[in-house]
Amino acid sequence: MAREREIDVTVNGRKHSKRVSVRVSLADFLREELHLTGTHLGCEHGVCGACTVFVDGRSARSCLMLAVQADGAEVTTIEGLRSEDGEWSPMQKAFFENFALQCGYCTPGFLTSAIELLRENPDPSDEEIREHLSGNICRCTGYQAIVEAVQAAAAAARGEAGAS
Amino acid sequence: MTSLRLPNEKAVGTSVLPDEARPLLDGEARFLNDIAFAGMYHVAFLRSQHAHALLRGIDVEKAKEHPGVVTVLTGRDLLGQVEPFRSTPNRFAGGESVQHWLAVEKVRFVGEAICAIVAEDRATAEDALELIEVDYEPLPAVTDAREGEKDGSPLVHETCANNYLIRRRLERGDVDGAFAGAHLAVKRRFRIGRKQALPLEGRGCVAAFREGGFALSIWMSHQLPYVARHYLAKHLGLSETEVRVIAPQTGGGFGQKASLYPEEFTCAHLSRVLRRPIKWVEDRLENMVASTHARDQDIEVEVAFDKDGTILALRSEVWVDVGAYSTYLWSAGMEPLQTAGLMPGPYKVPALQYDTRGVATNKTPVGPYRAVGRPSASASLELLLDEAARKLGLDPVELRRRNLITQGDMPYRNANNLVHENVGYMPCLDLALSKAGYAELRAEQAGGGAKGKLRGIGVACFAELTGLGTSTAVGPGTLLKPGRDAVTLRLETSGVLTIGAALPSQGQRIITAMRQVAADELGVSIEDIACQTNDTGMAPYGFGTFASRTAVFGSGAVIQAATELRKRLLALAAFLLDEPEEKLTIVDSVIHSTDGAKSLSLRDLAEHSFFQAKDIPQELNQGFEVTAFYDPKFGSFAAGAHVVVVDVDPETGAVEIIRYVAAEDVGRMINPAVVEGQIIGGIAQGVGEALFEELVYDEQGQPRTVSLADYLVPSALEVPAIELHHANTPSAALGGFKGCGEGSIIGALSGIACAVADALAQRDGDIHEFPATPERVLRGLGVDLGAG
Repeated sequence: MAREREIDVTVNGRKHSKRVSVRVSLADFLREELHLTGTHLGCEHGVCGACTVFVDGRSARSCLMLAVQADGAEVTTIEGLRSEDGEWSPMQKAFFENFALQCGYCTPGFLTSAIELLRENPDPSDEEIREHLSGNICRCTGYQAIVEAVQAAAAAARGEAGAS
Repeated sequence: MTSLRLPNEKAVGTSVLPDEARPLLDGEARFLNDIAFAGMYHVAFLRSQHAHALLRGIDVEKAKEHPGVVTVLTGRDLLGQVEPFRSTPNRFAGGESVQHWLAVEKVRFVGEAICAIVAEDRATAEDALELIEVDYEPLPAVTDAREGEKDGSPLVHETCANNYLIRRRLERGDVDGAFAGAHLAVKRRFRIGRKQALPLEGRGCVAAFREGGFALSIWMSHQLPYVARHYLAKHLGLSETEVRVIAPQTGGGFGQKASLYPEEFTCAHLSRVLRRPIKWVEDRLENMVASTHARDQDIEVEVAFDKDGTILALRSEVWVDVGAYSTYLWSAGMEPLQTAGLMPGPYKVPALQYDTRGVATNKTPVGPYRAVGRPSASASLELLLDEAARKLGLDPVELRRRNLITQGDMPYRNANNLVHENVGYMPCLDLALSKAGYAELRAEQAGGGAKGKLRGIGVACFAELTGLGTSTAVGPGTLLKPGRDAVTLRLETSGVLTIGAALPSQGQRIITAMRQVAADELGVSIEDIACQTNDTGMAPYGFGTFASRTAVFGSGAVIQAATELRKRLLALAAFLLDEPEEKLTIVDSVIHSTDGAKSLSLRDLAEHSFFQAKDIPQELNQGFEVTAFYDPKFGSFAAGAHVVVVDVDPETGAVEIIRYVAAEDVGRMINPAVVEGQIIGGIAQGVGEALFEELVYDEQGQPRTVSLADYLVPSALEVPAIELHHANTPSAALGGFKGCGEGSIIGALSGIACAVADALAQRDGDIHEFPATPERVLRGLGVDLGAG
């Protein structure tokens, strides 16, 4: 089997054609080949969720995927969450305003999971938020501020009063 | 409390949004692993697979020949080149341990580094690990503290008889007399498993060396950059002026990044020998076996009461399984000394006796982790108080009330020699009980409100000594005697302010807090203030971030430096404006005369003082850069009371937290949202400590929990919504501040443990060992699960 392969992958809207070692994970490819170091590795065995990114619109553990598996895919990382006019996404803004991060190492994965939740369920209960985020580990916040941030982002998306 | 107010009280006490968090939300923060240099080599460590073995031989030849490998370093290569870590129990009993950075002759725990492979990339280095052949001769392993102290046990270090790395006996007051005359004496055993601080980012470093000033620059994911610098210089034989330590963006620490470890020191040495930047980043497997563990205590505690339930005396026997080496610099004394010494907590204990031991075993060394010693100390005593209350026919809360140190008792010197003052134990308890509706909770419990489950209620009170000055040791017997930290305030020539300190953040928003204090103290707009806390090349001296000290030290030093800087600013403004100093104030970065007639912006003042200095008498122009050291002398007690309600499923042994109410005294709050994040985050770690997290070893000393699939950290589903309330009493430290980083994990372990025991007591069950896993809960209910 070839030790390297050519892949075409679109990351944060930009197309890349790269020759990669077949054993390189998507996370290492993003970090070391594309220098997108916003994706963090917490466990490299799929439990902590820090490395979660969007692959073709669905959340995926970039530590459990090989770069070659992303051939032809569209990937979005934390560096691609700002809108085209440079504004924070509602979730980034809500995390900031609700003190939903401390060390921030897990934040990229939480943002991805939380954005995915609101796409599927625009008005989640606290319990639904906790359930959906249970695949992401945060060691600092105790999760309460994260739940509040997701509620704030959901309210903002629904255009409710009081949401900023 | 007007004396505590700062001149422009606006920012302190408000939840100022933390600008320092912005890069984290954009993926632009630079953590250790995001740093790279041209020509950088990568290191992987070969680690021992045996708990205890002689190293008969190490063959590195095949690894050296592997394409892409630069060199392979063994322990013998370091002998005579660098100074290994030596740690002693200082003034207490116990032996010395010598830790070579790479093992020489003997390995003492699974995960101990044996060789360092340097290669062009990490994957190549890891490939080459498999080519090293090590000839081990296994030795019998010590895997239990109480077995390890027995005569005839194998020894981890020849220098440590009975494997004692530390042992201390203490008696204050007439303990035997108190027990002889007691109305009731209650004795309990409490055990807690091994834990992992588990910052989501592990340790790591990039070391870069070149000849000349600042020869060695090292980026380390570390909590104590100046301390690391001092000891890097000492152990490598360099001058401190040659070493610069930078703590980059850090993904959590919780104490694990407060010790000195062989890996970073080895990388520093390699960068010097190879003249290339050297990078090592710990992966999770390494983190689980090579970064310090915590807790692992076995405690027997006994309390004598009079007929009213007043505590007469407390005595304890403590065994801590401290692992294979006395952790550098903190020593093996951290857990043993603090567990026994701080057990009285917020209660009046007139007589105290303990015998505490740190026993060396063939496991990963134990080091500091959030609230060292105190969670177990507190839980041992709180569980005992619940049992005593039952025997005395008192409500557990009433027994606590009869023994808490009250405002009327203060200042109160306890038998452990600590003085309690400016702290509200009873106000916290009152607030927590009223917010929780304690009487209704007990009524619901009695009414069988849990529907097939066993309802338990736990109430725990705790004391947390924070912001320790020079007169109160962080850990008696340690090599470090922290107690003074400096801050530099510098008004830049454009009138903005830079704060420099060596108090790095691992997520605590230290920068935001210091900006808030400086803004109020000086009248500089908070947007005009930047703060830099992580670089020995730029910061004044300080010990770093640990032991809930940074808010106290950073703020105190800012206040002291600002007092002098303000004086200098107003003196020059008085000259330039021709107005007496006492008629000038600084508000929002502008100096005004009190009648409002004259004003001068800090920008104009600063520019003038630097670029047109010839106009100004020299004595008025001493520069707008002030460094001040702050030493609070003593510590400030923070406090809390937690009320926890659990339902225990008697079929499965599962514990569910139904309600969690916390009332805390953290002194004057700088940023309430940040404080709440610290407290709730600490409770979440306490949930893990009480119910889930445990590092397990087998009898051969092999770790069984080396991934996050085995070591169970709470997710959002396991951590309940926390109802948090404040009952703050300002401290005597400058500004009235206290630390708030650690206290809540104490109340969480105690409160949850008491609630689980209370639930089991509904069926005459009990529990002595934590975390309260389903198996232990079922055994506590008398379910026969067979041996195990």
